[in-house]
Amino acid sequence: MPLLVCLLDGFARSRGRDGTGREVTVLSGAVEQIRLQALAELEQASTMAALAEWHGRYLGRRGELTQLMRRISQVPPEERPAYGQAVNALKEELTARFEQREAEVKRSELSQRLAAEAVDITLPGRAADVGGLHPVTQMIREVTTIFNHLGFQTVEGPEVEYGYYAFDALNIPQDHPARDVWDTIFIVSDQKEIVLRPHTSPMQIRTMERRQPPVRVVVPGRCYRFEAVDATHEWHFHQIEGLAVDEQITMADLKGTLAEFARQLFGHERKVRFRCDYFPFVEPGVDFAIDCMFCRGEGCRVCKGTGWIEILGAGMVHPQVLRNVGYDPERYTGWAFGMGVERLVMLKYGVPDIRLFYQGDLRFLAQFNRALP
Amino acid sequence: MKVPVRWLKELVPTELSAREIAERLTLAGLEVEAITEIGSTWDNIYVGVVERVEPHPNADRLVLATVDAGAHRLTVVTGAPNIAPGQKVALALPGATLYDGHSVEPKLITLKPSTIRGVRSEGMVCSEKELGLSDEHEGIMVLQADAPVGIPLREYLGDQVLELEITPNLVHAFSVVGVARELGALIGQRVRYPERAPLSVGGPEGLVTIEAPDLCYRFVGVVIEDVTVGPSPWWMQQRLQAAGMRPINNVVDITNYVMLEWGQPQHAFDRDRLREGRIVVRRARPGETLETLDGVLRELDPETLVIADAERPVGIAGVMGGLESEITDETRTVLLETANFEMRSIRRTARAQRLRTEASARFERGLDPNLAWEGATRAVALFQQLIPGCRVTAVVDIYPNPRLPRQLCMPRSEIPRLLGVDFPDEAVLDVFDRLEFQPELRQEDGQKVIVVQVPTYRSDVTIAADLVEEVARVIGYHELPEMLPLGRTVPVEISPELRLVRAVQDTLVAAGLSEVITYPMVDEAALRALLPGAATFPDHYGFYPRPERELVRALNPIRPEWAIMRPSLLPSLLRNAAENLKFNRAVAIFETGKVYLPRGLDELPDERRTLGCLLAGARHLRDLYHDERPVDYFDLKGVLEALLPRIGAPDMRFRPLAHPSLHPGRAAEVLVKGQPVGILGEVHPEVVEAFEIDPDIRVVFAEIDLQRLLELGLEPPRLRPVSRYQPVDQDFAVVVDEATPAAAVADAIMAGAGALAVSVRLFDIYRGPAIPAGKKSLAFRVTFSAPDRPLSDEELARLRERIEGHLRRRVKGELRR
Repeated sequence: MPLLVCLLDGFARSRGRDGTGREVTVLSGAVEQIRLQALAELEQASTMAALAEWHGRYLGRRGELTQLMRRISQVPPEERPAYGQAVNALKEELTARFEQREAEVKRSELSQRLAAEAVDITLPGRAADVGGLHPVTQMIREVTTIFNHLGFQTVEGPEVEYGYYAFDALNIPQDHPARDVWDTIFIVSDQKEIVLRPHTSPMQIRTMERRQPPVRVVVPGRCYRFEAVDATHEWHFHQIEGLAVDEQITMADLKGTLAEFARQLFGHERKVRFRCDYFPFVEPGVDFAIDCMFCRGEGCRVCKGTGWIEILGAGMVHPQVLRNVGYDPERYTGWAFGMGVERLVMLKYGVPDIRLFYQGDLRFLAQFNRALP
Repeated sequence: MKVPVRWLKELVPTELSAREIAERLTLAGLEVEAITEIGSTWDNIYVGVVERVEPHPNADRLVLATVDAGAHRLTVVTGAPNIAPGQKVALALPGATLYDGHSVEPKLITLKPSTIRGVRSEGMVCSEKELGLSDEHEGIMVLQADAPVGIPLREYLGDQVLELEITPNLVHAFSVVGVARELGALIGQRVRYPERAPLSVGGPEGLVTIEAPDLCYRFVGVVIEDVTVGPSPWWMQQRLQAAGMRPINNVVDITNYVMLEWGQPQHAFDRDRLREGRIVVRRARPGETLETLDGVLRELDPETLVIADAERPVGIAGVMGGLESEITDETRTVLLETANFEMRSIRRTARAQRLRTEASARFERGLDPNLAWEGATRAVALFQQLIPGCRVTAVVDIYPNPRLPRQLCMPRSEIPRLLGVDFPDEAVLDVFDRLEFQPELRQEDGQKVIVVQVPTYRSDVTIAADLVEEVARVIGYHELPEMLPLGRTVPVEISPELRLVRAVQDTLVAAGLSEVITYPMVDEAALRALLPGAATFPDHYGFYPRPERELVRALNPIRPEWAIMRPSLLPSLLRNAAENLKFNRAVAIFETGKVYLPRGLDELPDERRTLGCLLAGARHLRDLYHDERPVDYFDLKGVLEALLPRIGAPDMRFRPLAHPSLHPGRAAEVLVKGQPVGILGEVHPEVVEAFEIDPDIRVVFAEIDLQRLLELGLEPPRLRPVSRYQPVDQDFAVVVDEATPAAAVADAIMAGAGALAVSVRLFDIYRGPAIPAGKKSLAFRVTFSAPDRPLSDEELARLRERIEGHLRRRVKGELRR
C-alpha cells in the first residue's frame, strides 16, 4: 500500500474528529514524511535493481509524488500554489538525489565486477602467429632501398646465363687467369657456353644493351660458384650489383655513394677505406672497406687484425666493357660495384657461419623476425 | 706469395716496419693478407761460438761443448754429430722457448738446466727444428761464419714474411724484385737491383730449336760446365724456406731463388742426360709420356708444349721438368733453361694435368719475355758465386720478336674526368717517374697530353684508364673526395614482378609463414620421389607439367644432389621441412624462388618466379587457449584465400585435381580468371615418406606461378560505395546432395542476391536425422546491403525468393524451414 494512502487513512481518521479545516496541514505533513522516508530508502538501495524499484515507488508514473500531485484538488484553492511548489521541489530533490545515488551504485557495481575479473596478467597472450622474412631478403630490401633513394632502379636478371654475359663481355676472355677468380658451375649445352652466373655483373651488360645512358641500377640476385662450402663460403649465395653510367660520372662519386651507403647500413660514424684492387671489368679497380665495428678499428679476429672490413669490390667501368655494349667510352664514364649479401648480414648481426642461411633451420631464421630493418 | 721483409729491404732500404710496408702495398693493390714472424718465440737465444768440444765422461755419443755468447758462456751436453769448435751456433739459455725436437707435431717447450749422464747442461745448442725453421733435427744449425757473437738470434735471423695475394693482373709483382719496385715507387725510392753477370751470346748451332714459336716466345739456354752439385749456402736455404720453398741442392736452389727474386721460372737440365745434348721446344707427339719430377707418369696430349731433347720430352714447358734429366749429385754439366711461353697454353696444360706449380702460376699470368735475360744473367752470377770453378761455355738466345716498351699517350684531362679530382702536373709526373715510365708532358692539338714509356714488365698497363689507376693508387685512393653523382635522373620505379614478390612475402609473413631460401638444385632421386609407387617420372612437377626436353642440368655440380635446376619448389620445400621437423612440431614456410623450365639446348631456361608454401605437422602448438591439431588442406587454403585477393586476384577458384604428388581427395587446382595458376593440396603420404618425413605427419603444399599471375593481369582495387545503411544478416540453411560442392551452393546464393549480397559465409554443415540420407545441410550467413537505401522487409523477402529459385535450379537445393 502506498505510503501516502496509509498516511491519509490515518489523517482521515483524525479528520473525523477535527473536521475538514486541518486537511492541508495533513497533506503538508505527508510531503515531509514522504521526503524523509524516500531519502532514507534511497540511502539503503545499493543495487541497480533496488534503485529501479525505489524509482518506481516514488518517481514512477504511479509513484508517491504523482499521488501527492493528484491530491492537489483536495487542497484549498488559496493554498494550492504553495502545496504544488512543495511537491515539485520534493520531486526535483528526489530526482537529483536519485541520479547521484544511481551514479554511485553504478560505479560501485562496476568496480566490483572489475575486481572479480582480475587475471594473472603474466599469463601468456593468445599467440598472433606472424612469420618472418629470411635475413637475406631483409638485407636485399634494406640495401636496395638505400640505393633506390639515391636514384637507382632495382632490376633483376637471369641466373642461368650465357658465358658471353658472365665473362667475355665483361673483359674476361677464355683461358684468362682472371677466370680462375670465378670458379664456375657450367650448364649442359651444345654450342654456346652456359653457366650458373658466378656474379651479378652480367646484368651490367644486359642493362646497358637495353638502354642508353643515363643508367643507374642495382641488381640483387642469386649467384653460384664451384666452391667447397665452409663457414665463409657457399656455392649458392646472393650479390647486389650496382651500375651508374653517364657523362661526368667519376670515381669520387663512387666513393661518396658507397660511403653514404655504408653509413646508412652500418652507422653514420663509420670510416671508409678505398684501396686499389683488380677486377677485369673495371679500371681503376677498388676494394671498399669500412672500419671494423667490432673493435672500432683496433684490430680483432673479425677484421683479421687490420681494423678494416672489406665489404665490396668496385671500380670505373672498363672502356672495353663500354665499347662491348656500344657506348662511347670517350663520352661516357661509369662505375660499378658488387657485394655479397650474406657477408653483410654476417657482419651486421654477427652470424658466425654462412651455411646457416641455406640450411633453412627455422630456429635460426626466426631470430631475424622483426618488422624494421 | 711470400716475401721475406729482410730480402725486400735489401732491395729497397727503408726504416718502415713490416706493418707499415704491408699497409702501403695493400692500399696500392698488392694485398698483404698476413704477416708471419720468424723467430717470434726466440727469447733467451743468442748467437754463440763453439770454443771447445770435449768427450762426455759417461757417454760415447755425447759431447760437452763450451759455447761463448758474449755475456753468457755455458757448457752444454749435446749429441749433435756435426758440432765442431769455431762454429757459430744458436745458443739457448734456460727459460728459452723451443720446439720439441722429438715431437712430430709442433710442440713448444721451455728449456730448463738438466743433468745428462751425470754432467750438468746449462743450455742447448739448437737444431733448425728446435727453432721452428724446418724439420731438420739431424744436427745443430750452423750459422754463417760472420755471425756476430753475443747478439740475440732474433736480431740476427728473425724475419717477417709478407703473404701477398697476387691478383691475375699483378704478374709484374710476382717476385721480390717486383714487390720492391712497387714499394720503391710508393715511398719514392729507387730499387737496388741484385748483381747480374754479363753474358754474351755464343754457342753451337742447334743447341736449342723452337719448333712451336707460337707457344714459345723466347728461349735463353746457358750451358754451364764443371759444376759441383752440393747443398746451397745457408743464407740461400733460409730465404728459400722463408719464401715457402724447400732447398734441394745448389743448382736447383739457384733456379728457385732466381724465380722468387725476379719472377722468372727456370729449369736446370743435366745436359749429359739429354739425347744429343740439345733441346727442342715443340708440341707433344701422340702417345708421348713423361715422368715428371713429382714421380707421376703423365700422358701428353698434342696441345701440350714440351721441352724435348733430340728424341723425347724431358719437361712440360712452363710447368715441371722430367725426372730423368733432373740435377743429381753426379751432374757435371748443366743446361739452364730460361724461357717465355704463351700464357693460355700453360694455363690449359696446368689445368689438364692438374699440376699447378710456382712456375705455371707465373707463366699463365703472362710473363715479360725480356725478363728471361735478367733471370739468366742473375742465375749465372749466382752460379759463379756459389760454385767456384764452373764455366759458362755456351749461351743461346732465341727471341724472334723482342718486346719493346709500349708508348702510351693520354690526355691530361683524363685524370680528372675519371677520378673527379685533379692533381698538380708535378705530382702526376712524379708518379710516372717513380714507376720508371719516363713521363713527358706535351701539348698536342691544343690539349695537354702525358706520354709515357711503359716498361715491358708492366703488361697490365695498356690504356689510359690504366694510367689513371697508376696515378690514383700511387698518390693514394684516400685523396679522392666523397661526392654524389651529378646529372640526369633515371626512372626508379620497381618492376611489377618485384612489387608482387614483395607483397606476397609480406602477406605470408603476416599470415604466420616464415620465408626460407633453398638451394634451387635437386637430383633425379628427389624428382623421382615426387611420384609414389611407380618407376617412371611424374607427369607434373608441382604445378608445372613435365617438360619434353631434358631438365636444366649442371655439367660440374658441387654434389650429385645439386645437379638439376629444379622444375618445382616442391622438392626443395619438402627437404627443408624434413630438416625442420626434426626440431619443430609445426612448420609453416614459403619461398618466392624460381623454377627453371628448359627451352632449347643452347637457350637459357625459362626462369619463372614461383611461390611455394608448405605447412607441416601441427597448426598450433598446444597452449592455454588452443589444442594442438594437425594441419590440413584448409589451413593452407585459408592462407591462399587471404593472399590472392590482396595481390589483385580476387576471383580465385579451386577445382578438384588429380596430381601424382598429392592426396587424391585433398588436392585442388587454383584458378584465377578461369586460368590455372597453381596447385594446392596435401602431399601424398608416400611422397612425404620418400622425403624422410614420418608419413603420419600431414604436409600441405601450394605452388603458385607468380609470373602467370602477372601475365593474367592483376586487378587494382575496384572501389564499391560504402553504404550508410545498416546491413542485414540472414541465414540460409540449404539442403543439397552430399556430392554438391559448397562453392556451387555459395555461387547460387551470390547469383540470386546479385550486387546486394556483400558477403556469403558458410558457417555450419549438418548431416543427420533431420534431413534425408545422402544429403547435407549447409548453413550460410548472407549479409545484404544496398549502397543507397535501407533494405525493406519486402525487398528482403523478394531476395530470399530469388535465392531460393537459384538454389533450386543450380544445385537442386532446398531451404530448410
